[in-house]
Amino acid sequence: MVVMVEERNLAMENQKPKPAIVNTSPPQSPSPSTSEIALVHLICAIGIAISISLTKYLHFITLISHPSQTLLLIWVIQCPIVIILYSRFRQNRQQCSFFRAVLRGIVGIFAGALVNAFVAIALGAPIGEKYISKTVNWSIMMSLFTVVPAASVFGSSWTDWQRIFANTKPVGPIDYMICLPAHGAVIGAWFGAWPMPLDWERPWQEWPICVSYGAISGYLIGMAASFLFVLVRCTLHHTKTD
Amino acid sequence: MSSLTCTNLTIFTLTGVLIQIIGLSLFVFGFFPVKPALSGFSGPEAFRAPRSDSVQNHSMALPPPDKLRSLYQELSGLPPFDKLILMVIDGLPAEFVLGKDGNPPRRELVEAMPYTQSLLANGMAIGYHAKAAPPTVTMPRLKAMVSGAIGGFLDVAFNFNTQALLDDNLIDQFFKIGWKMVMLGDETWLKLFPGLFKRHDGVSSFFVKDTIQVDQNVSRHLPDELSRYDWDLMILHYLGLDHVGHIGGRNSVLMAPKLMEMDEVVKMIHTNRILNQMNNHGRTLLVVVSDHGMTENGNHGGSSYEETDSLALFIGLNDVSRFESFSQKTVDQVDIAPTLALLFSLPIPKNNVGILIPETFGHLADDQKLRALELNSWQLLRLLQAQLPGLSCEGFPYHESIDKTSGISKCNGSLETKFCCLYTTAEFLHNSWMSKDVSRFNHGDEYNIAVGAYNEFLRIASEWLARRATDKPFNLLGFGVAAMVLSCVILLSLLCLMCKEVYGRERKYVSNFESNIMHAWHLDEAFAIGVIFILVVSMGSSSMVEEEQYIWHFVSSTLLLLLLRKSAQYLQVERAQNIFNLFSGKNKYIGFQTLSIVLLLISGRILRGWHQGGVNWRDLPDISKWLEQAGGDHLLKALQLVAGLLFITLSLVSLSVFDLNRKSVAVIGFCFLTPGLLVLQHIMKHQDSMFAPSSYTATMLVQIIYTVLGFATLGITVALPWLSSCLNSKSFSNRFSYESASGPDELCYKPLLVEFRNCSFVIGWAYICSWCLLQLLLQQPINSMPILLLFLQVLVGMLYCFHSGEDNKLWVEVAVFYYMGMAGHYALGNSNSLATIDVAGAFIGISSHSTILSGILMFMITYASPMLAALSMVMYISIKSCNYIALPINMDSKLLLKKLLGFPCLLLLSLNSILLVSYTIVLILMRNHLFVWSVFSPKYLYVCAATVCVYIGVSIVATTVIYTYLVLSFKRTMQGFGSSATTKDKE
Repeated sequence: MVVMVEERNLAMENQKPKPAIVNTSPPQSPSPSTSEIALVHLICAIGIAISISLTKYLHFITLISHPSQTLLLIWVIQCPIVIILYSRFRQNRQQCSFFRAVLRGIVGIFAGALVNAFVAIALGAPIGEKYISKTVNWSIMMSLFTVVPAASVFGSSWTDWQRIFANTKPVGPIDYMICLPAHGAVIGAWFGAWPMPLDWERPWQEWPICVSYGAISGYLIGMAASFLFVLVRCTLHHTKTD
Repeated sequence: MSSLTCTNLTIFTLTGVLIQIIGLSLFVFGFFPVKPALSGFSGPEAFRAPRSDSVQNHSMALPPPDKLRSLYQELSGLPPFDKLILMVIDGLPAEFVLGKDGNPPRRELVEAMPYTQSLLANGMAIGYHAKAAPPTVTMPRLKAMVSGAIGGFLDVAFNFNTQALLDDNLIDQFFKIGWKMVMLGDETWLKLFPGLFKRHDGVSSFFVKDTIQVDQNVSRHLPDELSRYDWDLMILHYLGLDHVGHIGGRNSVLMAPKLMEMDEVVKMIHTNRILNQMNNHGRTLLVVVSDHGMTENGNHGGSSYEETDSLALFIGLNDVSRFESFSQKTVDQVDIAPTLALLFSLPIPKNNVGILIPETFGHLADDQKLRALELNSWQLLRLLQAQLPGLSCEGFPYHESIDKTSGISKCNGSLETKFCCLYTTAEFLHNSWMSKDVSRFNHGDEYNIAVGAYNEFLRIASEWLARRATDKPFNLLGFGVAAMVLSCVILLSLLCLMCKEVYGRERKYVSNFESNIMHAWHLDEAFAIGVIFILVVSMGSSSMVEEEQYIWHFVSSTLLLLLLRKSAQYLQVERAQNIFNLFSGKNKYIGFQTLSIVLLLISGRILRGWHQGGVNWRDLPDISKWLEQAGGDHLLKALQLVAGLLFITLSLVSLSVFDLNRKSVAVIGFCFLTPGLLVLQHIMKHQDSMFAPSSYTATMLVQIIYTVLGFATLGITVALPWLSSCLNSKSFSNRFSYESASGPDELCYKPLLVEFRNCSFVIGWAYICSWCLLQLLLQQPINSMPILLLFLQVLVGMLYCFHSGEDNKLWVEVAVFYYMGMAGHYALGNSNSLATIDVAGAFIGISSHSTILSGILMFMITYASPMLAALSMVMYISIKSCNYIALPINMDSKLLLKKLLGFPCLLLLSLNSILLVSYTIVLILMRNHLFVWSVFSPKYLYVCAATVCVYIGVSIVATTVIYTYLVLSFKRTMQGFGSSATTKDKE
């Protein structure tokens, strides 16, 4: 402890860790056009819609009656869409091939699922045999919404991760595409948890049904917001240059 | 903006707190009325119709008891019973005897009470579910049964402080007619009616763990008493069943034997007295009642069906018509009072709001039944006249519109008109039936109509009066709320002023820090404030109040996650590096922050899973239930020992890692090792006998622990500032003698700060440790692990704060501690229902019954976690002062102390006052809500107790820190280290 105090003092005096300043260097990937962004978001949204309707009309199950199967189907369908779409926007194209980006995305699924599961359990998600499959499927889905796009695009570059997730200061269209839907999903899931303790005795109050609803709607809203942001920025940019 | 001096700050804060106390007490006394409606006792005038002028001459001397007795009999015109045996079985749910929803009770319960069940089956007994009003604790329920009045909610506070019942009641009425009374059982009766009993043997509800002796002490007198005929009323109050419930819940293995024992008593009385009535000792009535029910866990106090479902069983009413044995006849508990009064030809107690139970008068003739109804109506009408001064039914225009076939007249209009209309209708029908009394044929219809009219009046009047018991004086309430709002505003504006001043001034001092960070509005700060709004909004919903534990856990975990995110903001990794070298180099502090937050989150989650609290999801599995099922007592004891050992290790380690003199640390550690080992010994020796009454040696041991802990803590607090120099470790003295060359100012200031830091650290440590040790001793065995986890949380929180430095604003960190404390409060199994208060623990180590002491213990057990959070502020202040020791520039010590002490204290007070004020307003808005007495009022009592907890915690912290600082600076001055130190003296 003595050493620690001394070291700490030193740090206080000289090397106080400073919050990372926004990385001003522009992302090294080509900036996607507005229509491209719209397309990516549209495909993601359609993927979710397709998976939900598939479960409903082919298997006759819903999120309420069979949460883990539905979530499984959602992430199975969403997984290739998200990884392939976002891998196209990978950074450092010279050093990183498309397949490497896909690989990063696949690793990101599991890492992100772990983080999401930890956060959910820390916030009170139930633990128990009958909840394991629900929690696993839910956290993989959340991982696809939040971590996987960033993993595909940025790999292990800490400054980018920090900019997107810790500081929430996106610059450029790709940042918006990753940042806003991810935050939307997390915030939506957070609000989705609120009805859970109430005594309304509705079947959807179970873990993780309403949380998933919240996450999906937050994700969709986030995508719409990101598209709008990019659109507004583009028009502003154009008017400026004109 | 004027500068806020320390004196002003103190004065304003104290004023705010004082105003708050005044406002709170005004509100509480306004909202929970304690006054009775009518004073005095009813006499012979109760048998005459009430006059509107109601000039009752109280001065009229009552005739001697024997005359009075025959006078009452003559006036009432009802044939009375001669002897009454009132058997109270504490905590027996009616469900055990009568079943639920038309189904018989469980098999083993039926088999446990064969005699009583046969009486019910043969129609020799009538049983009722007597709905008890909350709060379902013994004393208010006894009062309700004998006086028929619904007591104020605050009666629960006086449950352990029974005082003589001064209102009109049955026992006093019996005494007035010269009855000889015997009381065996709960001594609450002796406190309620001192000096009225001819013979008594009171047992105390004090030894909650004793389930055998407490009832044997009652039953051992029975054979003797039953063979004597010198008494008229015998009260038997059996406490054992309640104790069984408190220990093992409804399904305890001891429940069936206890019921069997009660059944034996019923059998003995019935065969001895009621079956043998030929011996011209008059007719005896046996009434078996319970004061309240119990929840699944054996607790009571709230208003769930399980708790309010009490029993009323009448045995010995002859000619009882065949009665469905498992009927769902439900009456109110207060109905017992008028029923008994009329069965014994007594005047009904003045404040009674109950109505007689019709089936119990089945043995009477029709005119007598009507007479009983009439007497009850007169009494209620008198009470109505007292409540509605304008009520006068004389010359009330008699309704021609009475429907002769149904007897229900259309009574509308104002309250007064409605009551008079109902009453005069009944009276008229009664009289008309009486006048035709001669021709007895064809009277059935008219008789039924008259009975129906009386019942209608009685029902409506009783309902209105019962509701009326909760009326509020609005001026008082308004004034109280205004005072509370004012104090809240004062505290908040003080906090804002301090924020502005401290952080505004700090900008000058710490300009080398990133100034934009100091002033940016961070997410965690916004959320820390948002939490308050979330809580305030959620309090408006009764189900959210019931499930408050989820909110606290959810928001405190979210806040911790936000802090985690914030520390990620400070983490710097070179582009080439990956995320995993967190603990190297300058990122070490971030690494420690992350680690400690993750630890906090995990321990918080375990705590949350320990007890499945609340109301709706109680039955879901949780760790405590799992442990109880898995291993029972042995596992629990082992767990408790492990928790104790880990606690002692952890506390000694935490003391030794801090930079202090080894020898002093050893001495202090030893001081606390002794009580720690004593607590372990107590767990080993005495905790295993769950069902045995606590022995003398156990009590002695606990008292020794109290004494040692008290002296150790107090001694360290008082003496340590004077002996502070022996705490300094060598490295520090070296450092500062070296640094002293830099200037005279620093010379006197920095060592002062170092000594202050050391002292307050050790004192804070002592507070936390002794508080946790006390809790290990007092809490239920199952809660020992949560206590350890709470202790761990505090230590880890300190670790986080040590490493966070100036990253967070002080008030965010204090708020985190407060929120975690509240989350821990629910993690210990508390809820917003009065039923979860641990009564059994409140008697540990007390050798004689003392209301105050057991009240204090109960408070300490219930508020273990919030108090721990408040006490940890001393250590927090010490940890935070480390930052300033390191600062190269010299800060004003006054400002420093104001910041370090002011923020925690003011913040705790303001957070609490916001919650208090908003909850008060919610309570006023919800005053007509269905759940006001069952959900909102108990919650309000908890809020009040939490306020007291904050007051105590803050005053301890403030006194300790100021005392330490004063002593240290005084010592500095005395030593003559530079005269400039005197100017920095504060407060």
